[in-house]
Amino acid sequence: MGTLIRRLVGLAALLASPATAAPQRVASLNLCTDELVLLLADRAQLASVTKLGADARETRLAHRAAGLHRNNGRMESVAGLVPDLVITGGGANRYAAEMARRMGTRVVDVPPPTTIDELRRNVRSVAAALAQPARGEAVIAHLDARLGAVPARQRSAVLLSGGGYTVRPDGLSAGLARYAGLVQQSYPSDRVALDRLLANPPEVIVISRYRAGQASLHQMWLAHPALKRLPASTRIVEIDGRSWTCLGPLIADEVARLRERLQ
Amino acid sequence: MTSRILNILLAVLATLLALASLLWAPGELVEVSKRAPDVARAILIELRLPRMILGLAIGAVLGLTGAALQGLLRNPLAAPDVLGSSTGAAFGAVLASYYLGIGGTLGLALGGMTGAVTALLLLLLLAGPAATTASLILAGVAISALASALTNLALSLAPSPFALYDVLFWLLGSLADRSLDHVLFALPPMIVGGWLALSTRRGIDALALGEEVASSLGQNVAAMRMKIVIGTGLAVGAAVAVAGAIGFIGLVVPHLVRPFVGHRPGAAMIPSALAGACLLTAADLFVRVPIAGQELKLGVVTAMLGCPFFLWLILRGRARAAS
Repeated sequence: MGTLIRRLVGLAALLASPATAAPQRVASLNLCTDELVLLLADRAQLASVTKLGADARETRLAHRAAGLHRNNGRMESVAGLVPDLVITGGGANRYAAEMARRMGTRVVDVPPPTTIDELRRNVRSVAAALAQPARGEAVIAHLDARLGAVPARQRSAVLLSGGGYTVRPDGLSAGLARYAGLVQQSYPSDRVALDRLLANPPEVIVISRYRAGQASLHQMWLAHPALKRLPASTRIVEIDGRSWTCLGPLIADEVARLRERLQ
Repeated sequence: MTSRILNILLAVLATLLALASLLWAPGELVEVSKRAPDVARAILIELRLPRMILGLAIGAVLGLTGAALQGLLRNPLAAPDVLGSSTGAAFGAVLASYYLGIGGTLGLALGGMTGAVTALLLLLLLAGPAATTASLILAGVAISALASALTNLALSLAPSPFALYDVLFWLLGSLADRSLDHVLFALPPMIVGGWLALSTRRGIDALALGEEVASSLGQNVAAMRMKIVIGTGLAVGAAVAVAGAIGFIGLVVPHLVRPFVGHRPGAAMIPSALAGACLLTAADLFVRVPIAGQELKLGVVTAMLGCPFFLWLILRGRARAAS
């Protein structure tokens, strides 16, 4: 009897919980959460994404944001839409999250992932908030299938972007690169100087040209003539850098493509 | 010590530092040259040589223009960065790169020079012909603050969301990974600007006695002022465009050499150029040594050297005023 009452109380609490009701006016306040909601939500659930989330130079999912309201990442820009769920992206959105809570709006905060497990957790968390758990599991299954196993053959590599900036060898980008058979090298301040790169070239250099068509001091660095002096034994691969900004579920396809190109 | 001996000593020191800059970590270079001679040649010619030339040239023009401005304004606190020309150059470079579509090193150099000359002309206009020390410094601080605010505004409205990050790192100052293209674009304006400033060195000694005395001695003060302003604008604009905002060299160096040249502003110019070249090249060698796994920025190192010196100048001024 006691068990039955507990189950009934639990069921009632579950039904009364706002988490179970599918939100119908979802506002995402961060490029990386935009990618998650554009992947996981029904179109009818979405009220707003950021301007960056609707910019094809920033995300491969920009086309899905066509026609949606675009916000600037702040709560004021979506308050008028009266969202029933606001999704924020960690520290950069903390004031927006605080304001949304003060306004009585439900908030799901999704900090940038630092491990693949956290990436999976973020997908599940947003999928649950959107009442789309099955879609979340499907995204995770696709992620795991595309990442596959870490190849036995690992090559020394540098994930390089403009200005000589690279990634930490113990970070998530480097962890994902291992699934493409690449071991990120370590450099002071996560920046590689050209003379160091020439003197000790890795087997593979993966260049991400973020907004290549736009004037940028960092892009100018990638045009340095010394980069052409790398030995023929060093393979240079250019990738679509957009998915590496957020390191969300879209990254799995990029890693798989990179692995295929290197084989 | 005569100016000639000082100049020779500083030239020898600058040569030694330049060689160290070129051949830094010789063991590694020798090892690379054995393994891949072409790569070692590329490191020397395409990376180290531009870095060495730019270190010497930028240090020299910052020291020289600092001495020229201090002589022209008869003010020990005058320097390109204190008077707003460095921040003006940064604003000009950001505007040219992100808004006017003048891409590459040429856009940076043109924007930097225009910004620096405009800032200095505005300074002279604001401070007026009978400028006092306080009015010059105030005008310089105001122009510097305005140029910084405009730079931040331009970056906030920039089409790329990473523009702020991009420019922030550039403004911290660096000579790393510059190419011979940077030398090609930056060296001619630095030479012309430096020559314009240097051509006033005889007249500027007379200016130390006051503008009226200098005029009665046959010096064309207005022409001298224009030469120094345009020369500083060209040289500092080009320097900021390729290396970011490197502060304090122009302020500190003239003070270091002045006791050795009898406190004559004109005589301090060439040693200030040589000492500036030495100081910046030495600072650039220092930043190549990673500290706790992190690499320092050149502008940070020169500021760390310059700030205590600036404080010492203030304290010395207070002590003199009290005595």
